[in-house]
Amino acid sequence: MGKVILEVKNLKTKYITRFHEDVYSVDGVSLKIEEGKSLGIAGESGCGKSTLALSMMGYYFPPLHYTSGDIIIDGVNISGMDPDKVRTTILGSEIAYIPQAAMNALNPTMKIIRFIEDVIHAHDKSVPKAEIRKMAESYFREVGLPPEVLDRHAVELSGGMKQRTVIAVSTILNPKVLIADEPSSALDVTSQKMVIKMMKDLMKNGHIRAMMFITHELPLLYNVTDDIAVMYAGQLVEYGSAKEMVFDPIHPYSHGLMGSILVPEEGTRGANLTAIPGTPPNLKKPPIGCRFAERCKYAKPECFYTAPAEKMFGENNTRMYRCLMSEEELREVYANEQ
Amino acid sequence: MKGYRKYFGQKLLWFFITLVVAVALNFILPRLMPTDPVNAITGKIAGGMSDSSAIKEVYEFYQKQFGLDKSMFTQFLIFVKNALRGDFGISFSQYPRTVSDIISSSIGWTLALQIPAIIVGWILGNVLGAVAAYKRGIWDKGVMPFFMFLGNVPAFAMAIILLVLFAMKWKIAPTGGGYSSQMIPNMSWKFVKSVLSHYWLPFLSVVLISIGGQAVGMRSMSIYELNADYVKYSRFLGIKDGKIVKYVFRNAMLPQVTGLAMSLGTSIGGALVAETIFSYPGLGTTMLSAVTSSDYPLISATTLIITIMVLLVTLFLDVIYAFIDPRVKAAQFD
Amino acid sequence: MKNTIKQLFHSSKFVIGFVIFVAILLTIIIYPLVSPGNPLEMVGVGTFAKPGTYVSLYDAVQTEKDTFKFADADEKRLANAISDTDREAMLALFDAASLDYSSIDVDDSNQLIEFWDANYENAMSTAKLKKSQKRDLRLLDSRIQSLKAGETFKVIEELDGENVEIATITKTDYVNTSKVINVRNLPLGTDNFGRDTLRELVAAAGVSLRIGLIAGIIATFVGLLLGLLAGYLGGIVDNIITFFTNVLSVIPSIVLLILINYSISQELRGPTLCALIIGATSWTWTTRSVRSQVISLRNRDHVNLSKLSGHSLMRIILTDILPYIASYVVMAFILQVSSGILAEAQLSMLGLGPKTTTTPTLGLMMNWATLYSAHTTGRWWAYFPVILTITFISFSLNYMNTGMDQVFNPALRD
Repeated sequence: MGKVILEVKNLKTKYITRFHEDVYSVDGVSLKIEEGKSLGIAGESGCGKSTLALSMMGYYFPPLHYTSGDIIIDGVNISGMDPDKVRTTILGSEIAYIPQAAMNALNPTMKIIRFIEDVIHAHDKSVPKAEIRKMAESYFREVGLPPEVLDRHAVELSGGMKQRTVIAVSTILNPKVLIADEPSSALDVTSQKMVIKMMKDLMKNGHIRAMMFITHELPLLYNVTDDIAVMYAGQLVEYGSAKEMVFDPIHPYSHGLMGSILVPEEGTRGANLTAIPGTPPNLKKPPIGCRFAERCKYAKPECFYTAPAEKMFGENNTRMYRCLMSEEELREVYANEQ
Repeated sequence: MKGYRKYFGQKLLWFFITLVVAVALNFILPRLMPTDPVNAITGKIAGGMSDSSAIKEVYEFYQKQFGLDKSMFTQFLIFVKNALRGDFGISFSQYPRTVSDIISSSIGWTLALQIPAIIVGWILGNVLGAVAAYKRGIWDKGVMPFFMFLGNVPAFAMAIILLVLFAMKWKIAPTGGGYSSQMIPNMSWKFVKSVLSHYWLPFLSVVLISIGGQAVGMRSMSIYELNADYVKYSRFLGIKDGKIVKYVFRNAMLPQVTGLAMSLGTSIGGALVAETIFSYPGLGTTMLSAVTSSDYPLISATTLIITIMVLLVTLFLDVIYAFIDPRVKAAQFD
Repeated sequence: MKNTIKQLFHSSKFVIGFVIFVAILLTIIIYPLVSPGNPLEMVGVGTFAKPGTYVSLYDAVQTEKDTFKFADADEKRLANAISDTDREAMLALFDAASLDYSSIDVDDSNQLIEFWDANYENAMSTAKLKKSQKRDLRLLDSRIQSLKAGETFKVIEELDGENVEIATITKTDYVNTSKVINVRNLPLGTDNFGRDTLRELVAAAGVSLRIGLIAGIIATFVGLLLGLLAGYLGGIVDNIITFFTNVLSVIPSIVLLILINYSISQELRGPTLCALIIGATSWTWTTRSVRSQVISLRNRDHVNLSKLSGHSLMRIILTDILPYIASYVVMAFILQVSSGILAEAQLSMLGLGPKTTTTPTLGLMMNWATLYSAHTTGRWWAYFPVILTITFISFSLNYMNTGMDQVFNPALRD
């Protein structure tokens, strides 16, 4: 087992709406990423996966608020740290973020180099501009971007180029952890491939040491990340290695979700496309029982009033699922279905 | 550079097309009058002018000017040719002064008053809108609605209120005119002082009413920009809020330049009417006296000059906007 | 729809604007019922009667009297009778006679007059003054003395060449205003024509609002129609419409309005024609925004589905496009109404508004007030309420609009 680079313990955050209502969109998430590994987070839209990404940064601004839990990066607990300290010593340099819709992530009226200068000066004011340019040029070359990009405005770049620029800017300070929220969803297939390759290379070349990749496109995760976690209504309902998750999902929700995709691998070609009927619960008032119970085909009466805890299982107890039913029971149910 | 050239080419083309249409409207509209325009025009002032030879001269001049015996197109060419030479004829009401003489003596006053006032109002409005969007609280709930209210006071009404308060009640400003009536315009310090003392009240009236409208636009743009993805992204890269706010306001303010260009056409009307309240010796007052004395040549020329002024300022703003906002350049490449 | 309206009423800006506007609208509807009469009737002879309650002197004299002995009645009368110049003249006399009047409060008329009575003879003999000054002071003294004396008025009527006394009025006579037959309240006085300003203002606000509404309806209708055509049909239609829109939107609307209104003789220019002209020159802004909205809608899935289903152009526009731009159109309409009212006011200030003698409008009232120098002679009631009315109408509409903008445009939410 490698060194743990990112560990999240029972993280809870909430949104406070305009009408002063609390929305518990991340409600007790625990996970670990080891050195050199990547974790994929999958789930329907609105399940809280993007909020999880925001919450992991340890830096909160309205409407998102921190409630409890720990975020530990390479042994340093950043939750509860002074926000100003988080900003100058953690953000960008320890943990970096690639936003959803990175198309608009760069200030349209600013040259890329000016922005990089601001990013670096936010952490160390003493670096001279000439040095920043030199460093940025060599880094851009290394990640396969033409250095001329530095003197362009964001609006002048194509979609794929913009996205790769965002990734380069995010990782220019060699952060330990990279959190990518749907970095490739809006791109065409070619650009998508380039982005994925770039992120894999960053990991290989040691620019980043752990990565979390959030997407609603499950097939992508299978190809990109080592492990996959499935999120539902603000909680993780199952996680395991990518292979285990795709070929042997155990939680009724992941089971349904995986059933609804086609992985171009042997044995799954014939799998039925099954959508899961119903909608996720309202997170202003989460259900007291299992959050998935209302949509679960196999729900029993107790599911509606007993909240299931996380259960470890599998080889070496490395997998987790969150359901009242036992592993055996679930397997039997699935077997009977087919 | 290719993008810019295309952009400027387009803008210039539009400028000329609009100019031609404006000139054409100026030519056509009075000719739509059901009666003989020359008769109607000179008839309107026949009562006002006692000098019968003057009336006759004016009548003959306009008969020639309108060239009613010629075809409509020839008439238009004559009109354009005269306009290009700056020959707008002779004023009825200030006979025998030429219209171009009257206009050239008033246009400077209007430019000197309106342009600085509009710029100052624009800047203050943008600052207020930005502060209201960012700081909220009293700025958003108190100061902002107050200036929005002032912004809805018609320009002439604001002029009246300021005149009554500052000139009549507190007597700290002169009651009107562009300079003391005992003076003859010259370059002395005393004259400049007199001009300035007559200047600030009309200036203030234009500024006060333009703040609100600009502030509303800037507030919306700022809120829009504050919610933009790059704000969140910049924060997560550790950039200070103070710096991000600068990005936001720059981005919000740039489109306001075109906002100014677009609002110019509507605001100029009010500002000109406000001039009349202060008897300010600019185009507005000239226009009012032209209308009240049915001085058709003067009306025609003032409206044309105002249109050209607005067109030029709009063109100018469009051009500088393209230079300061890279988004325009990018849009041209699409 | 119901939900949208509910949301609107959550916006404080919309609610404030709405309440002000409804209040103005109700006043326009209700006030003429409370105070009926022709708003243009010239009730006053002479110009600019001050706001206040007017009691018919003729009727008052013939009304049943009551006697009151209010202690401060004389004092008030004196205070009113002695003007500031009188006061200065009195003090000047004391100064000339080097009298020390520091013991009294010179602003208190009673004390001053007491002091005057005690020292008048003495001061007149000692002070060195010009003859004319002395004469003025003697006149002042006699006025003061007669005010103090129990003077009475006799009301005499001539009957068959003989004077018959019909009433004697003393200082202690009072009439109850409710018993006087003719008591008129003019809360805003009269204007330069002697019209009841308030009644005229309410009527003018109604007419101006109608001008704004007609102008707004025309501008919105034309703007919507052209915007829909340009945006939905595209191609040559779009090019032509965009061309005219762009050209007309840069030419200042005031210029068009002046030229058009000048070309139409004043006799023909009624409020409705003015509204038509204003509407016809202000549709460009609506066309632009509707066009860009429609272009972004044109290729949406639901519109394409409708096209594939073979729905008619009319049906697609009515069911698939209009509902999506309805909020923008309503907002544009509101802005057009308020700018229509302002445009009328501006034109009227230039003397190019509606015909002046048949209908009142807010602009015409302003025009007359300034022509008769109400603002330079302190007749605030003739112009200030008009300004407030225009401003409140315009402000309420614009504020409603700002509120709507925030509701309909999620990107602008706080």
